[in-house]
Amino acid sequence: MFGLIGHSTSFEEARAKARTLGFEEFADGDLDVWCSAPPQLVERLQVTSATGKTIDGAYIDSCFVPEMLSRFKTARRKVLSAMELAQKNGIDITALGGFTSIIFENFNLLKEQQIRSTTLEWERFTTGNTHTAWVICRQVETNAPRLGIDLAQARVAVVGATGDIGSAVCRWLSQRTGVKELLLVARQPQPLLDLQQELGGGRILSLDEALPEADVVVWVASLPQTLSIDAENLKSPCLMIDGGYPKNLDSKANGEGIHVLKGGIVEFFSDITWQMMEMAEMDNPKRQMFACFAEAILLEFEGIHTNFSWGRNNITLEKMDLIGAASQRHGFHTLGLTLPSDPAPADHTQPALTPA
Amino acid sequence: MATLASPAVSEAFAADQLPDFSTDSYKDAYSRINAIVIEGEQEAHDNYISIGSLLPDQAEELAKLARMELKHMKGFTACANNLGVTADMPFAKEFFAPLHGNFQKALAEGKVTTCLLIQAILIEAFAISAYHIYIPVADPFARKITEGVVKDEYTHLNYGQEWLKANLDTCREELEQANRDNLPLVRKMLEQVAGDAAVLHMDQEDLMADFLTSYQEALMEVGLTSREIAKMAAAALVG
Repeated sequence: MFGLIGHSTSFEEARAKARTLGFEEFADGDLDVWCSAPPQLVERLQVTSATGKTIDGAYIDSCFVPEMLSRFKTARRKVLSAMELAQKNGIDITALGGFTSIIFENFNLLKEQQIRSTTLEWERFTTGNTHTAWVICRQVETNAPRLGIDLAQARVAVVGATGDIGSAVCRWLSQRTGVKELLLVARQPQPLLDLQQELGGGRILSLDEALPEADVVVWVASLPQTLSIDAENLKSPCLMIDGGYPKNLDSKANGEGIHVLKGGIVEFFSDITWQMMEMAEMDNPKRQMFACFAEAILLEFEGIHTNFSWGRNNITLEKMDLIGAASQRHGFHTLGLTLPSDPAPADHTQPALTPA
Repeated sequence: MATLASPAVSEAFAADQLPDFSTDSYKDAYSRINAIVIEGEQEAHDNYISIGSLLPDQAEELAKLARMELKHMKGFTACANNLGVTADMPFAKEFFAPLHGNFQKALAEGKVTTCLLIQAILIEAFAISAYHIYIPVADPFARKITEGVVKDEYTHLNYGQEWLKANLDTCREELEQANRDNLPLVRKMLEQVAGDAAVLHMDQEDLMADFLTSYQEALMEVGLTSREIAKMAAAALVG
């Protein structure tokens, strides 16, 4: 069985969701109530692969909302409790979605293996970052040419280059895609130098220096509230892949020739009837989901019950190959740009996921 | 990916540090918290014996559970002695009075479901979560004792779960009513000791959240759905 740990994108959205799902009492509670609320296994579902294989899964809402980010103990407890609930329900492989994996990594929760009477078994969890990195790379490879960008002649800036996903993207783009030059942007100098050495290339720049030079910008860092991007200084065309969380780049960068694509999103080959994704910020919630969630589904399809993506800088090209091949085999497609010249999307109505 | 503010992290680690067990303020707070624990174990003993009178065929097993509670009580009394603290028993008796009253009323009416919900689910879930939160900030002597106790309490919780599960068809309505009547009391009890618990470095939100997690788990084992449980849990949180 696979699991997905998710959360609402805001407190208001969480309350609305609770009301829709029949948890009216929680919907009426204030933020303190939500801080004390235990995680909920809100939905069980089945997924059928393009190969015909059917698997069972469950969606766990951690009852975390981004408004709790400044409350360290609350955030920590939310993540660990949701993981405990997944393990106690016997879920073999669970993806940590949204802020869950970010909190896990930034608060160093690897030290917190014991929660109450439960010893968390790390092999039951995955950050999903390998699949996310692979999807982002494929999004670059398939969408840049559609804008007339020849990747062999292109400069690709990776903002957040030293992170787990960012470094994997750099590795893939330099060794597999073969871009002209990588522009490496991150906050800390030393990890950047280490990455540059590992890649055997790439130019370290500040964000302001990198943007005007880039044909493609891959964002895998969260965007500071104060960030403003001057469209005048960007190349045209410029492909921007918004691979951070939350996805809000389109509000910061728009203009003639600038194409913002939600990064790390996949689309399943047939409709999904889960309630939870209806609320997520997807254009087509019946089919689209975060690639990190899809990783848990893929690992279950493949019978790989291990923490496939775990820790920092452990994503190899071989692992990206493996998860990428599985992704295609089981019916996931990477989200692409919708261009004015595109034909209207075909209508697929065959349901593949039904609530159990 | 997002970077989270580091000041929050350092503050939290500071709060996780052990308190100074020798200060007057610690001992003062401990005299009430420790008394609650001692009184709780004593009442648990009495309650299991009482439930045995309603379930004669299980009286022997219940007596066994009751004996464990007395052992716990002795252990916690030793913890107070070790710190040179005298437990404030009158405070603890008053603290438990409303829940005690509800239990006695249910007992007199022969309501097994209500008695089990109060003792074997609510109080045990509360104890388990409080002990789990206490252990990391306890003095070394009390830590060892509490670690032993918490293992036993799971046995008691399990007893209540199993009985209610086996009788769910006939006891569901009473269970919901008992929850409505008693869960808000637990919340009030928790609020009442929040200040003293904070002196012991036990966070009120942690206590409430862990209690609800344990309670939710127990009700899940009983066979209630997550929506039914959320509705029941909300009785403590909202209003």
